[in-house]
Amino acid sequence: MIGRDRAWAGSFIREVRRDPLVQLLSPREQTRLLLIMSALGLLLWGALTWQVGMPVWGATTMVLGLLLVPGGLKWRADLRRHGVTIMILSVILTMQGFHSVEHLAQWVQYHILHWQPQRSSGLISAANAEWVHFIWNWGVVGIVVLLMLRGVRNRWAWLLLGWSVAHTMEHTYMLVRYLQLKQELGLLGVPQISAQGLPGILGRDGLLSTNPTLMRICGRVPGITTISRIDVHFWWNTGETLLLAAAAHRFLVSQATRE
Amino acid sequence: MARLRKTYLLLLVAAAVALLVANSTWPHRLSAASVPTRQPLSGADRTVPAAVLGARLGSGTPCTGNFERHALPYTTTNGSAPIRMFNSNGSGLAVDDLDGDGDEDVVLANLAGPNAILWNEGGLTFRKQSLAHGDSRAVNIVDVDGDGKQDILFSRHTLSPTLWRNMGRGRFVEDVLPGVEGKVYATNWADMDADGDLDLVAGAYDAGLEKDLGYNFMFTRSGGGLYLYENQAGQFGYNKLSERAEALALALPDLDGDGQPEIMVGNDFDVPDQTWRRSDDSWSQITPFRKTTHSTMSFDLGDIDNDGVQEVFASDMKPYDQDVRTLAQWRPMMAQMPHQPFKGDRQVMENVLQVRGDDGTYHNEAYNRYVDATGWSWSAKFGDLDRDGFLDLYVVNGMIANDLFHYLPGGELVEQNQALRNDGQAHFKPALEWGLGSTASGRGMSTADMDNDGDLDIIVNNLSKSAELFENRLCGGSGLLVDLRQSASPNTRAIGARLTLHTGTGSYLRDVRVASGYLSGDPSRVHFGIPNGATVHSLEVRWPDGAVTTVENVPANHLLTVTR
Repeated sequence: MIGRDRAWAGSFIREVRRDPLVQLLSPREQTRLLLIMSALGLLLWGALTWQVGMPVWGATTMVLGLLLVPGGLKWRADLRRHGVTIMILSVILTMQGFHSVEHLAQWVQYHILHWQPQRSSGLISAANAEWVHFIWNWGVVGIVVLLMLRGVRNRWAWLLLGWSVAHTMEHTYMLVRYLQLKQELGLLGVPQISAQGLPGILGRDGLLSTNPTLMRICGRVPGITTISRIDVHFWWNTGETLLLAAAAHRFLVSQATRE
Repeated sequence: MARLRKTYLLLLVAAAVALLVANSTWPHRLSAASVPTRQPLSGADRTVPAAVLGARLGSGTPCTGNFERHALPYTTTNGSAPIRMFNSNGSGLAVDDLDGDGDEDVVLANLAGPNAILWNEGGLTFRKQSLAHGDSRAVNIVDVDGDGKQDILFSRHTLSPTLWRNMGRGRFVEDVLPGVEGKVYATNWADMDADGDLDLVAGAYDAGLEKDLGYNFMFTRSGGGLYLYENQAGQFGYNKLSERAEALALALPDLDGDGQPEIMVGNDFDVPDQTWRRSDDSWSQITPFRKTTHSTMSFDLGDIDNDGVQEVFASDMKPYDQDVRTLAQWRPMMAQMPHQPFKGDRQVMENVLQVRGDDGTYHNEAYNRYVDATGWSWSAKFGDLDRDGFLDLYVVNGMIANDLFHYLPGGELVEQNQALRNDGQAHFKPALEWGLGSTASGRGMSTADMDNDGDLDIIVNNLSKSAELFENRLCGGSGLLVDLRQSASPNTRAIGARLTLHTGTGSYLRDVRVASGYLSGDPSRVHFGIPNGATVHSLEVRWPDGAVTTVENVPANHLLTVTR
């Protein structure tokens, strides 16, 4: 199976001689459908949020559902043309791209629109930032492991694995604290109060900063104990996206070279 | 091609790292908010003689390595039950020697009950004398009329301040300050116009006035804002600097080193703090700080690194512990009164420590130096509590407000006061072993040597619980107390003077001020801690007009009275 995937990857590279990542992510024959769905989605998003008063996360989820139609067709074509591994790479790169948009939205809400940190929860995460990011990041770890098992093993992939595991550990710590805080709020008789937005391990007021010795040591690295939670996760995600792109690029190039 | 791609990737990573560095708070960017140093007043550096009297201090009780708590015979009460905003803000206190017997006395403000003087009768015993009506907030002990006797000023909740004129022999007569009609909350005194006498700076707490006196009142002459009352031979001239204030704290530091004080107003809620500077007989606003506290409760100044420049500390509300139980107590309240940042907002919801760089700019170092979070903080003051030559920090905290904390028993956020020890590098660490973690909901607080043994004791005016005195029984070091007197000036206690004690282990800077912290008056007697083994070389006194007196052969463990 893996051998067949490699052969398909080779055919992919032969097919697209220039910039394999761009070619991999290109919607190709689904371009028109994607544009139509995007336009429809934007209209629907505006109507649902402004006219109907639907929460942003709900409207965004519906738009993403619409975009899944051309996306699904494109990925089916990838599977048929290039095999499972390339298709997974195509899916994860696209999804991670959308996840980056989510973090960018948080960054804009916090730094440009000057919203409160708790309110700067992006487009979908407003539903529940802790669960959304916890599930997504464990999903990324799982997919990275799967990709490595299927042959995407280069130094960028190893770095990506380490990075994504560390990122996920932070989200796991934050989810545990979130659940503990939720329980405490319940005990105080105010379960309706949001428990989201606690600091994690890194960043301002994070676990590292609560220990003076660790603070002194880690504080030498710029931002590690000082930047906000929103910035911490913006950079976690940026790093993850860059490493994923590098690992995919390297894999595709190496397959072409082998062919 | 492959090399090009590698270069492209490397560039991407480098750009990401550069953005991360640019986005971080390290290293500190000092481009904004500078306070240019100005020329000192004319007459500065003129050397003037002064008479020096010394009295040896007592040895006090044996040291135990901690503070011993004493309940004082006084409780600040409030008229409403349960306690609601803004009675929850409590009242202040002040410390000074009112009868000239050498012992520091305490004056405490009350909300529902009468204010009181606790006369210090030695041995940490006190005799209580009630002063009519409470309804008071800040307390200042200051020689308003320049007769050499310390008077008492109370700011009142919904009335103009009340002056208790010191007639001598422990007798006080109630009076008013002529021309002072503002319903003010925080008050402070200094020679603001360089004419030799003391002027009053006063800020209103608009939210409280509006709640109690109505919205229309805010448009009257005395309806809120920030006032400067210039003393003109006993009459106070009216000068309204700002129409709006939520002043919980006022400090009068000399930020630019020109010998003239600026005005710093610490505002509650979303109203940004303000700093005013006098220039050509008029006052204008300046912005010396890149970051300020959001709900400013308290200001204090102190040279925490002994570099000859005072740092500025402002307290705010931020839990001192990040454990979920503590955070759960804060969350619902924070949901009710969130910080809504606006474009260009400099406010942060945590304590700030303004440290001045070599280029004259201030930057907030509270987080890096571990003083950003001290709970729902009220009065916060520096003092060399352990006499190691470095200023420590004490912060009283807690909150009782049924409308804010209805989900907590008694509507009370119970917190431990925070004692933070300066480690000698101007970083702070909790000093739990000092036994200063009272949970009695402190508001006003001041430090003074109450038993004349050369160390700083602490007095706290709690809300609805007995006031407390924490007797300093820490071991090590010695102390020096200094009283300044200006016999030919209406500013008899030399408010605004700066004192530098030069020792073999460093030079320690102090200043004489009327008030700091939250609603709390400071003693005009200045305290220096002297580390074990340090040799004292000299004491340099820079008087409020810039003239200098140097006292050589300064003995430790003495109370010096320096009279010009």
